[in-house]
Amino acid sequence: MSQPISVSHEMDLAWRYASGEAMERFCAGLTDGRIEALRCAACGLRYLPPRPFCGDCRARLTEWVAVGDEGKLEAWTEVQVPMLDAGTGRPRATPFAIGLVRLEGADTTLNHFLAETGAGRLRVGARVRARWRSERAGTMADIECFEVIG
Amino acid sequence: MRPVAIIGTGQTRHSKRRDDVSQPELVREAAAAALADADLRPAEVDAILISNMELFEGRAFPELWAGAGAWAIGKPCLKIATGGTSGTSACIAAFHQVAAGCFDTVLVVGFEKHSEGHTQAGMALTDPYWDRSVAAGALGNFALSVCQYVQERGVSERQAAMVAVKARRNAAANPHAHLQLPDLTIEEVLASPVIAAPLRRLDMCPQSDGAAALVVAGEASARRRCRRPAWVKAAVTRHDKPYLGDLDRRLATMRTLRQAAAVAYRQAGIDDPVRDLDVAEIYEPVTYAELAWYEALGFCPDGEAGRLIEDGVTAMDGALPVNPSGGVLSTNPVGASGVIRVAEAALQLHGKGGARQVEGARRALATGYGVYAWSDVIVLESAA
Repeated sequence: MSQPISVSHEMDLAWRYASGEAMERFCAGLTDGRIEALRCAACGLRYLPPRPFCGDCRARLTEWVAVGDEGKLEAWTEVQVPMLDAGTGRPRATPFAIGLVRLEGADTTLNHFLAETGAGRLRVGARVRARWRSERAGTMADIECFEVIG
Repeated sequence: MRPVAIIGTGQTRHSKRRDDVSQPELVREAAAAALADADLRPAEVDAILISNMELFEGRAFPELWAGAGAWAIGKPCLKIATGGTSGTSACIAAFHQVAAGCFDTVLVVGFEKHSEGHTQAGMALTDPYWDRSVAAGALGNFALSVCQYVQERGVSERQAAMVAVKARRNAAANPHAHLQLPDLTIEEVLASPVIAAPLRRLDMCPQSDGAAALVVAGEASARRRCRRPAWVKAAVTRHDKPYLGDLDRRLATMRTLRQAAAVAYRQAGIDDPVRDLDVAEIYEPVTYAELAWYEALGFCPDGEAGRLIEDGVTAMDGALPVNPSGGVLSTNPVGASGVIRVAEAALQLHGKGGARQVEGARRALATGYGVYAWSDVIVLESAA
């Protein structure tokens, strides 16, 4: 019976992606603490994060709408096992909580980290608010996580 | 679509680690078994389709490395990689190739060796602007969707545990299955650790090493070579939007599976799936997903999936046995998992199911599930 061969690679990689106009404007807005969605003129759905097209209507999206940094928790979970953090290449500390958040002014939900773990305040329908970082770089990490406010 | 049939199937033994074979050897094991079952020589295969998620192994060009294992040198060989639907989509591509008259016999081989790579690294390389920073893998994403599904439908942990037990007990009659837990009880499932609320370890599929293959043939060859060909009556694929958060209450709505099933049932003349189908092999990466798929596939009205599992409708001796193989919950080499669903459905019509045979099965359903909400639905029938 053959034995496995261990092959080790230390990779320090960075990628460079064209953002497109919609994501460029959205990310620039985050730097200023501003969240914007793109609304489909045909069906009215407000997409967050914004993207160039409405998948349902096959329409180009151009109508920007303001979105608040508070909203409703639509789903949550507390992950107990290490998951790879793509940003560092290392496992995340456990437990950590994630949720689907529907911000005021948007129709889709955002998946993001939640400030606290444990059933109690985390419940479907809870009010949540973005916790912004003081130093912002125009990436989604400008929002550190969402906090339950009620 | 011109008549197309599956005339042979083959699988490897699936397990946590198949250190005894390399990737091309694993592929060869399944391909050889499928060709032997179809009584076909390698030279008689016109084209090969490979299903594999190469980012999981960290080894590019599986159609190059593993293609040789499927006798693909000097022949048309393509790779399909669409997450969990890779295998079912590769089968559908083969159906289309043969139906279009491009080829007469096509060999489909799906494989994955999760033990050799870093599945989470592959999963984490999603959309770089939003998803990548918060990627929580299939586990975290499923837990969010299950949270919504439970809230909306009120299914219980115990009903989910019943799915877990059904799958693992069925797997005990399948010599290829990875997890062998013949005596698993509901209490043991409910005592297994919560890994992402509300999901427990035994609610989730394993990661497996394994390969599966099948042979697709045109009408004349199928009739000549196979005593009971599994004719393709419907094969439908639906994709959906790019972000998890785009899919409103994903498990409760699952519009891709509903749409694909509606089209497939119409094509295959199915009015009442529980009555008209004899067996189903559905792609259920997590127990709660099986309950959600019951609703999306029309096995029961929305909100009654828990009752369906409690009533034993989908048990081996029920009106519609679901996953006699043990399903993805028992065996999950991702690139192979979709091929396994179709191969197991065909195997039932071939009458070669052994201890997991559903007696007299004449019409079978196979489904694929991929990425956030992609769906494939395939209906096979033993009557042309």
